[in-house]
Amino acid sequence: MAVKMYLGKADEAVDIIFDKGTFVENKISNRTLDPDLAPPVFIGEAMLDGKICTVMGNNSKRPSPHFRIVYNGIVGMEEAYKFSQGVYATIDEDEKKPKEEKRPIILLIDAPGNSPGKVEEIVGMTKATASYQFAIEDARSAGHPVIGMIIGRAVSGAFLCHGLLSDRILSLPKEYGTIVHVMPTTSISVITKIPLERLNELVKTNPVFASGAEFVYKLGTINEMVEKPEDIRKALLRNISEVRELRMQGKEDQLGIWHRGVLGAERGGRTKRMEAINKMQKEFNEMLPSLLE
Amino acid sequence: MRINWNELQEKSFYQATARERANGIVDDGTFKEFLGPRDKMVSPHLIILGEAVEYDDGMTAGVGKIGKHPVFVISQEGKFVGGALGEVNGAKMSYTLKLAIDCYDAMKEKYGKVPDDRKPIVVVSYDSGGVRLHEANAGLVAHSECMECMWKLQNKVPNISIIGSSLGAYGAQGFVCLSADVVLANDYGRIGLTGPDVIQQEVGKDEFDASDRALIWRTMGARSKYILGDVNFLLKDSIKEFRDKIVAMSDLPMSEISKYRHLGSEELVEENLNVVKIAGREKINDSKDLWKYYGNENVDELPELPQEEFLKVVKRRPRGL
Repeated sequence: MAVKMYLGKADEAVDIIFDKGTFVENKISNRTLDPDLAPPVFIGEAMLDGKICTVMGNNSKRPSPHFRIVYNGIVGMEEAYKFSQGVYATIDEDEKKPKEEKRPIILLIDAPGNSPGKVEEIVGMTKATASYQFAIEDARSAGHPVIGMIIGRAVSGAFLCHGLLSDRILSLPKEYGTIVHVMPTTSISVITKIPLERLNELVKTNPVFASGAEFVYKLGTINEMVEKPEDIRKALLRNISEVRELRMQGKEDQLGIWHRGVLGAERGGRTKRMEAINKMQKEFNEMLPSLLE
Repeated sequence: MRINWNELQEKSFYQATARERANGIVDDGTFKEFLGPRDKMVSPHLIILGEAVEYDDGMTAGVGKIGKHPVFVISQEGKFVGGALGEVNGAKMSYTLKLAIDCYDAMKEKYGKVPDDRKPIVVVSYDSGGVRLHEANAGLVAHSECMECMWKLQNKVPNISIIGSSLGAYGAQGFVCLSADVVLANDYGRIGLTGPDVIQQEVGKDEFDASDRALIWRTMGARSKYILGDVNFLLKDSIKEFRDKIVAMSDLPMSEISKYRHLGSEELVEENLNVVKIAGREKINDSKDLWKYYGNENVDELPELPQEEFLKVVKRRPRGL
């Protein structure tokens, strides 16, 4: 039986995840985002089980009118800045709300990369993607649960800005067309000159250069696999409430990117990292008194 | 290895190794390494792939002093697997940044308020292409860890990027370096997200001719980044030049240092977006077009002028909206 895939159709995923007909594009409470800025992304508010959320994703069907290498879901400069605007609008609109009522930000992830163009290098794709990453951190520290949901492509630089710094990352399995990697194993084979057959054999025991959500899960990068699209809604609701709970208890170390390192060690995918930081902590502890002199 | 600190000062920054840069930036004899070569913490993934390893995994990280300031230094070695970040050197980078924050917190506890002349400082010497593809999934998340630390360092610990080694700051390192407070570069410095070869391969030679050296320099090079504002100070090519600039800034109040920031607030989003809109509107296709837009007439000469001349005549993008 053919399954419905959302790769290239993140806009359609909005309808199956959020309360029917509640998504309003370019609106965050009383703030209106410029509808003419960055058509390749969609940002707005929607209800999830009657509660308001900010929803952000890439619309693969709408290319950029200004920058020629921004299409098919690619995150360009205007797109990264508009995502940032969406986050800051969310923070500003909820400024007076108590921490436990700050609305969640849901990132629907289906983006194949940052724009690899010349003008992006001249002006600074660098600053655009970093700005968005800082905005996400600002939102988390203000109390907003940020959840990334991989429904299509979570690739390299696009994943770095749109997803990786979330409190939690969930993913559909590869049967639903998800692609999670820095680059395909075929390209890694070309660059490292290691035969593809050997790489494919090696990934079975070492997920660190593998492509696919199941492997990346072992590294801790993905918190949770969601079996099928119909389960996304429930999984989001549960994760939002868990993130809120942990945040209210001040357990920030059980959220976000640093906790992914802990999960990576627990799941056996990234054990050296933990060994390295434990050793560094010990070295630092011995040095600290002299550093404070 | 015995390092003669005085000789190091006069050495070309461009030609210096990661360990020389780290030792030369801080006061003579004060640098102590985290996970130094003696710890032999190598990449397990390169071993599996049958690749050569280094005992420091291509990165020198540690703490030294400038006066009373603890200075946390991360120095990347471009000669080893393109200076790129994997699991072990990624942890070295992100955790050194984290320890700088811990040091700040400990100092605050000890002194009540962190004194300007003692505050910890972070210096990262970039020489990297970004994610190490042999262990790409681990390298990617290491960059995110670094970004979270960069975010936490804001308004607490002066965070200085120094760029002027052979590879510059490319790939994900390109945006990590611009997340600092202050960016220092010599004329060899380069900052970018997508390298020339990759642009040519992904988009085509009509978009970017990777064999055109002049095009590379005027697109990603320090002089263009200085004109457009990403590089705050353009320096001569010696370790001493970089060290002197850092020493001169070290006692400044944090609020003064934060003024150099490139990103990290709603206001800076609007300032940066404005430049993007100008580029879209003016159909910018060469950095020279943008140099001209900001008032430079002599755009063909700018890359060629001696640095002192360049600094005298160049017009820079005004900061703010």
